[in-house]
Amino acid sequence: MLALALDQWLRRFRRRARPDRRGGVSVKPRSIYILPTKQGILLAVVILLMLVGSINYGSNLGHLMTFLLGGIWLTAILHTWRNLLGLGLQPQQAASVFAGQTADFTLLMINPSALDRFGITLKSQGIRGDSVDIPANGQTRLHLPIPTQVRGELPLPDISLHTRYPLGLFHAWTYARLDLSCLVYPQPAGSGEPPPTPVYTRSDAGDRGVGTDDFVGLRNFRPGDSPRHIDWKAHARERGLLSKQFGGDRTEEVRLDWDLLQERDPEKRLSLLCRFILQAEAREQSYALRIPGQKIESGMGPMHQQRCLSALARFGAGNAATG
Amino acid sequence: MQQPVDRTATPYVLLQLSLVTGLTLLPHGMNLTLAVNLYLILLLGWRIASLRLPRIKPGRWLLLLATLGGVLLVYTQYRTLIGRDAGVALLAVMLLLKVMEANKQRDIYVSVFIAYFVLVTHFLFNQSLLLSLYLLLVMVCLTALLLEINRVTASPRPYQPLIKTLLITLQAFPIALILFVVFPRITQPLWSLGNSATAMTGLSDRVTPGAISQLIESAEVAFRAEFKQSPPVAEQRYWRGLVLWDTDGYSWYTDPRQPLAGGSPEITMRGESYVYNIFLEPHNRTWLYSLDLPISAPTRTRLSRDFQLWMEKPLTRPLRYTGHSATDYRTPELSLDMRQRALRLSDNLTQRQRDLVSRWQATASNDSQLVEMALGFFNSNPFIYTLTPPVYLNNPIDEFLFEGREGFCEHYATSFTQLMRLAGIPARLVVGYQGGEYNQLGDYFIVRQYDAHAWSEVWLAQQGWVRVDPTAAVAPERVRYSIRSDFGEEGSPALFRTDNGGVVSSLFRQLGLALDNANVQWRHWVIGYSREHQFSLMRGLGFDFLSPTQWSLITTGMIAASLLIVGLRITWQGKRRATPIQAVYRRFCRRLSRLGIDRLPYEGPIDFATRASRRRPDLAAQIQRITALYIRLRYGPHGGEADRRAFTTQVRLFRPPRRYRKLNG
Repeated sequence: MLALALDQWLRRFRRRARPDRRGGVSVKPRSIYILPTKQGILLAVVILLMLVGSINYGSNLGHLMTFLLGGIWLTAILHTWRNLLGLGLQPQQAASVFAGQTADFTLLMINPSALDRFGITLKSQGIRGDSVDIPANGQTRLHLPIPTQVRGELPLPDISLHTRYPLGLFHAWTYARLDLSCLVYPQPAGSGEPPPTPVYTRSDAGDRGVGTDDFVGLRNFRPGDSPRHIDWKAHARERGLLSKQFGGDRTEEVRLDWDLLQERDPEKRLSLLCRFILQAEAREQSYALRIPGQKIESGMGPMHQQRCLSALARFGAGNAATG
Repeated sequence: MQQPVDRTATPYVLLQLSLVTGLTLLPHGMNLTLAVNLYLILLLGWRIASLRLPRIKPGRWLLLLATLGGVLLVYTQYRTLIGRDAGVALLAVMLLLKVMEANKQRDIYVSVFIAYFVLVTHFLFNQSLLLSLYLLLVMVCLTALLLEINRVTASPRPYQPLIKTLLITLQAFPIALILFVVFPRITQPLWSLGNSATAMTGLSDRVTPGAISQLIESAEVAFRAEFKQSPPVAEQRYWRGLVLWDTDGYSWYTDPRQPLAGGSPEITMRGESYVYNIFLEPHNRTWLYSLDLPISAPTRTRLSRDFQLWMEKPLTRPLRYTGHSATDYRTPELSLDMRQRALRLSDNLTQRQRDLVSRWQATASNDSQLVEMALGFFNSNPFIYTLTPPVYLNNPIDEFLFEGREGFCEHYATSFTQLMRLAGIPARLVVGYQGGEYNQLGDYFIVRQYDAHAWSEVWLAQQGWVRVDPTAAVAPERVRYSIRSDFGEEGSPALFRTDNGGVVSSLFRQLGLALDNANVQWRHWVIGYSREHQFSLMRGLGFDFLSPTQWSLITTGMIAASLLIVGLRITWQGKRRATPIQAVYRRFCRRLSRLGIDRLPYEGPIDFATRASRRRPDLAAQIQRITALYIRLRYGPHGGEADRRAFTTQVRLFRPPRRYRKLNG
């Protein structure tokens, strides 16, 4: 508990690289921390033993070998430090996930120097991201998986870059903060009330509604059309590729309304609405969403779904709901 | 059942670890007993095989058994687990066992660190230049292994980590050198070194028949000698070691219960004297070698009345000292105690010895004539000088003189000494080395174990102690040429090196001498680097007034400076020097950057120009013109001087206003 408090307090003094105008950070010479690893300390002890042995046996060559290893030990500090120095990080993207899933933050690491970099690990608050080698003047994508628990905007926490290259005797790391966030949708409710019954309405646009019931007509083939809907007979008659069009004479529409739910707990309501949206999308029903402060007209498809889920995710987040 | 294998501890890395460990232990093959060697080879072979066939990888119990077996083996071989030899054997076994069980990154670290430690143990046995270079290479390989396991992906070519490690080693070298020069050397060991006398070859303080002929098989260097002036001829190069006064009829020694009393002897020089440096290999004995006859003792040694040089403690480190000797001399009057001791006879004399001596006494008018007759006896009778004399069991001197008549220098010298004593002439046995090979490149003599020799000294009135070498009466070549160590099969007569082989053998000899010279410099500056060197270096630099505290501060400062240089170097390493054209272009980019248009690291000049033009249409024409010139100069087949000038001028004139001015505004 005390250690945690101390850690929190120390965190205020932490040097971190902050984003520049382009939103990227680069590792500055004085923002790199470095400490010996367990192996580094062990080697120091071994070197000390070697020195004692060399003194005892009066072996000058033993002295020389010991001092050379000592020199390598010291030089390794610089090389480890250099391995991080100047590396650039740019925020890339973080695809939205449902609460409880793992958010995947993607960053671009840039090595702007003519020096190969090895064994760079991305971490954040104890979570280990990718480890990579980056050749000179190269760049590579790094992923940082962060588990999510609650819906809403999840900003990328303070990240750190770590390395032990070249000899594993020292551990150099640096902190950075990047502007990147992941939108976390509510977790779809596993149980609870059933979705509201679809309302059947005759489509105003006649037979152009989506369905599989009745043959409506033919139109020119477009990429993506199912081969089963191609009018092969017409094709045989050399009339080109035509797709058969089907349509229902009615559409199913689900009205998802915050106020109509029996569930009282707001978060559970959001979870329920989330499940309903997914179900409606799976059943190819069109759906409209109404939650306090926002109303989304009936629609279907990935864009619509994303819009509705985002509204759920941002629900109650002050200005974020409208923004 | 088995723990998951670390990503970096792949079979390939483990194979490299096994091979480098093998290289680390390789030179110890000569220092460890055969059984231990076989055990180590077994372990290493098993390890390498188990990387191909994981089925035969030993389990935990088998490893425990192998560990216990190894400890037991070392114990049975050395009867101890501590001390130099047993300690090294134990360390070698432990290293291989660690390598055997290695399947995690952590194990590789520990194995490499143990191997580092093994590296310095080699210097307890051999300190040659070649071995040192070899071990340096092995150290680089070990370190490269650490480099390899700290990468994420395996290096595509195995030499890449080696090159990087060599670079790091080079950068570490100045630090090592500074520390090597200034680190204080302690002359006394921190704790007892234990008994390692058995490993040293060299003369012993007891001459038994066959003792010296054993040494003849070794080409190991006993010492090197460097003369300040022209060296004495081969016949005069007797390197005096020990004087043996007492005998029990079988072996010769000096009874330690009867030390010679008194201080340094007086000596009357007749010819010129020699001043020379001797670089003595550690022989774990307290006596030193000098040209016959030393007239003064080097610092921190004692010259006894029978002209032996003594130290306080057995020599465990190479020693360099300056000797002062005369080859033509006269020793002072013989004291009574010495005379009595030099005439003491063993109790196994035979009648035929007495008869032989009485015959000489009957004809000789004085002592020197008698000595001549004795030498004539060896010369005229069919005595054979051989490296493999028959074994004389009961009364070696008598059997040699009258039956076998085949012997090596110690047979001639001991029997001659005994006969002289029988004739009433004070005599004593001297052992040391004779001759030595001249190295032209370094202008010094190499004296090897096969140069070991024994001779006699008799006391003659008017002359004092006179050196008599009965071996020379039988085989005069012995004192003129060196014995080759690579002599033929058993029983063949002794061969002598006469330096007139073919061109190839002469070339090899020259090469060998050059190598020996490098070794001598190595010995002088590295192995033999001592407190005295340190002091004289400080004095030479004029820093001897500094206190130890000041010295440690200066040393720390020097190491810090050395690190700073390395740090600056590796910081700049990645920043490739820009060509003049690039430098100008960078200035252009900086000017745009002031407007908030930064060139992204992955953005090419054309993309950047397009983006910048879109942001500032008012500057688009200028930006496009400069970019076009840059691309032509940098990537085009040949940039003209006119283009170059235009580019530079345009960038110089490119001073965009901060605020965006509408074109028509």
